[in-house]
Amino acid sequence: MPAVASDSGDFNSLSIVPHSLETQTPRVYPLRTSRTAPPFGRVSISWGRGSTLRVSLLQPGGAESDGEVVEVNLTNAEGGEISEAERQRIAHGSVTPFALLQSRKNQMDELQYDKTWWVHVMEYSNEIKSLLGTSKSYITPTIENPKALLEDVEEPTSLKAAWELMEMFYADKQSQTWIPERLLDWLADFDCLLSATLPTVHAKLVAFQKALVTIQEVENDPEYWEIMSSALGIGWLDIVVKMLRLHGSYQLDQLGTREIESGLVEAVAVLISQMPRLRPHISDEKLGECYNTKPEFMKAWEKWRTQITKLDCHPYWLQCDHKQTRVGLKNMIQIMLGNANVVSNATYHWIELYISHLLYIRPFTVGLESMYTLAQKCMHLKPITNRHKLMGLLIGILEENTEVVLAECSRSFGPWMITHAAELLTAGSAQAEILLHEEQSKIGGICIEELHRLIYAQVLSSHVLTWNIAPIYLTSCMKQGLGLLENLLYKQPVQVLSEVLKDCNILLHSIEICRLNGIDYVSHHMMKIAGVHYWKHGEKGSAVYWLQQAQDEVRLNRIAKHLFDFVGKSVSDESFKQWEGMIDLLGTESKTAGGLEFLKKYRDFRRSLQQVEDGITTDDARKASEALISLMRNPSTPQQFWLHLLNDSLELLNWKDRPLFNVSQTNLLLNKLQELSLARLLPGYVDADLPPDAFRSVRLALASNLGRAILEE
Amino acid sequence: MDKSILVLDKGTRCTAWNYSGERLVAGLIDGSLAIYDSTDPASSNFTCTHRFKGLEAHNGSIVKVVWAPPEYGDAVACISEDGNLSLWEEIVDDTEGPHWKMCKCFDRNTSQVLDVQFGYGQTSLKLVAAYSDGRVKIHELLDTLELEKWQLQAEFQNVIDLVSKFGNVSCISASISWNPERIEVRQSSFVLGFNSNTPSLNSAKVWEFDLDHQRWLPVAELSLPEDKGDQVSSVAWAPNIGRPYELIAVATQKGISIWQLRSNPDHDGRLSVHRVALLSGHENEVWEMEWDMSGMTLATTGSDGVVRLWQSNLNGAWHEQAVLAPPS
Repeated sequence: MPAVASDSGDFNSLSIVPHSLETQTPRVYPLRTSRTAPPFGRVSISWGRGSTLRVSLLQPGGAESDGEVVEVNLTNAEGGEISEAERQRIAHGSVTPFALLQSRKNQMDELQYDKTWWVHVMEYSNEIKSLLGTSKSYITPTIENPKALLEDVEEPTSLKAAWELMEMFYADKQSQTWIPERLLDWLADFDCLLSATLPTVHAKLVAFQKALVTIQEVENDPEYWEIMSSALGIGWLDIVVKMLRLHGSYQLDQLGTREIESGLVEAVAVLISQMPRLRPHISDEKLGECYNTKPEFMKAWEKWRTQITKLDCHPYWLQCDHKQTRVGLKNMIQIMLGNANVVSNATYHWIELYISHLLYIRPFTVGLESMYTLAQKCMHLKPITNRHKLMGLLIGILEENTEVVLAECSRSFGPWMITHAAELLTAGSAQAEILLHEEQSKIGGICIEELHRLIYAQVLSSHVLTWNIAPIYLTSCMKQGLGLLENLLYKQPVQVLSEVLKDCNILLHSIEICRLNGIDYVSHHMMKIAGVHYWKHGEKGSAVYWLQQAQDEVRLNRIAKHLFDFVGKSVSDESFKQWEGMIDLLGTESKTAGGLEFLKKYRDFRRSLQQVEDGITTDDARKASEALISLMRNPSTPQQFWLHLLNDSLELLNWKDRPLFNVSQTNLLLNKLQELSLARLLPGYVDADLPPDAFRSVRLALASNLGRAILEE
Repeated sequence: MDKSILVLDKGTRCTAWNYSGERLVAGLIDGSLAIYDSTDPASSNFTCTHRFKGLEAHNGSIVKVVWAPPEYGDAVACISEDGNLSLWEEIVDDTEGPHWKMCKCFDRNTSQVLDVQFGYGQTSLKLVAAYSDGRVKIHELLDTLELEKWQLQAEFQNVIDLVSKFGNVSCISASISWNPERIEVRQSSFVLGFNSNTPSLNSAKVWEFDLDHQRWLPVAELSLPEDKGDQVSSVAWAPNIGRPYELIAVATQKGISIWQLRSNPDHDGRLSVHRVALLSGHENEVWEMEWDMSGMTLATTGSDGVVRLWQSNLNGAWHEQAVLAPPS
């Protein structure tokens, strides 16, 4: 990528996806050249397949250095986060779920659509999600090592994080009632992505874990308490409890002396692990008690809060000698009681503060009500200079601004994301559905959904390993999909340049795509290219085969003429066999052009004539004579062959047993001969390569046959 | 991802990729042509497979090369600096493996050929050439399998008013672009503009073949009344995958204009045209313009030595989307 791969959230890589946001100044990408430098005599451009641009950099006339061609791929928009191989894997994997969803959409009636559509969309979303990486949470305590707070799992991608946001807010109707908890889970998985540019709880936790090995009495370290408060603030309860248990008062030799201290720590740990959660279920390793409905949850919440307040006022605190423990635990209690200042101090990123607000200050938030105002407040409290692209998307979602969501999806996450996530968006928002499906006259009468599919298909066709899935997306484009598919196929290589690599896979695949989409004229065009290529490269058999497949009568007739010249020269000798094979190759195709049809008949005639010479039975001779008549009657039989045919048939004309041709047949042949004798007088007539008396012999034979025929009749 | 895929021989003056981007032809300063092929289709590394001297009789650099449509074989047309137009094709015959031979050298009198383009998708191959005296010649191939046999189908000057004839015309450059439509539902058409000393010849005009009268007619002029004499450096007709109108880019010294062309002729047979954007970017001359396969993005190069990409946003406003700049 020419772009600097930063993860700063803004559109930073070279992707050419149109969107509706205000026009920004064009970005400048440095072209990496290896041998040339400005000034150039000429810069030449050519679009390759899909969205690749080839730039020829030519040195000025006098320069003694080379020129070069640089290929630029204008498709990468993920900021370099995902490798090319990974991108291809995702591209291939998402075809089936996408196609299945489209076919379901086409089959569904409106009533069903409103009720159950989201179920299909969720199924689709789950399949796509599984492609984007394992869904394992980053924060999982392990029992084996008490000091391992975080488990090493594979680094999640922003793409997956973005997908989950879209799913959570739009597609998953079941999660609408517990959005804050879902957002909490989401942050647990993806807080590490935000750490790259800004301090986060995750980053602090990772740093502390590294230091933990060397810390002796952890409770004396102020950072220990700070980090626990932070983790508690964003609801990572399991980590907090695990960390609390590292407290020195738990050690066996300390139990006697630090009984009260340890009691307080344990009391806080128990309260934390009993925290009521407004969610239907929670994974085993996570803590808290789940409540499905809001009334139940509210009741439990009040009870829990009372317990905390009770603990907060307990006289034991006065007896606790260890100051850090006392202050630290009190601080955590303040968080659980929803003290805004303490919560704000415990968190770093605005989204973390946001989660704490939802958890402890506004625990009864359901749905999207006033979530955007709260987000604005948190952003105000924790201003950031460098906005992550995920935050741009999240803000767009919370703001309920579909245009921003679309623009963020396409410019930060690229054509794959917008094409596939549009399904989530339309499933969840009527406004989005209208926006995506409305025809836009300003972009040539297509809707935005189609526009993005077209662009994605173009991106797919840039690569030799993904071009073949582009048609699936194009066929889902009602207006311009076929047009782009045609252009894509016209650019597919047809001829094979190297003998070693001779295979027609691309051609055969393209023909199949044409057949499925009813665009035979495109496959005919490709077959024409193949035919002409073979013809020019001396492979006449393959040439005829492909031109026949292409039903290219103009060129086949032209080839037939070429063969006549060749056949005409060698008709009476043994070289007949040389081109006989070629005619055989024409097979039984019924739609052959006139010229080639003649050649086939001629071949048959020659064969029966051969049998006559070998066997001499009247039956064979009759067949041969019928073939001759049929040939002479056929208007496509070239005049230059007439005399040849008649001359070859002298034996038939002079058949001893009985005349093989009746009166009218003989008259036909005589007329042809007459026509020929007139044609001989015209300029441009090429005399057949036959003995000089051939004409006379034929005329004589015909005359005697006519005489015998008249007598017989 | 950008990568260098090919090193050109010293003295390369012009290049052209074939339809599938698997072959490149380069024209050189010594009048030779070089063909580069990919050695392995999976990788995009190209090497020179053929190099041959162009016209023996005419010396001078090759200034322009164009591939013929692939259904006529592997063939290129090339223009030499002295204005000669010749046609070359790759063949295999009884005596030799794949080699390039000249199949046609078009006659010329005093004027030089400035630009040449093959038409697409017609039953017979057409080649339009623009000459330094402001004339346009359209040659037609007589035999689909032989690139040797051509006949002159038409000859005219690039003026709307068919009666006027201009003498003493001197053109520096010309630019031709065929309508990329391949299906033969519409008449073949192309757009042509000149950079000359004669204002009426300059402006880009759309020419369409009138089947009924068997002649070429100018159906649209892509220029505002006040800009009619502006010298045109480049024109590019966009592929149309389903828009109800055509898009044509025309570059003059005032910038790059994007024109919409609708196929509803008025009583004079003129099509309605509408300029949707005037884009400025390249400081001086625009060298080349090319639309991508969907007709949504226009790439341009110019004497400032950079590549610019232009696009319309969802509101129909055209803007410069990106600049590809070689390191200075």
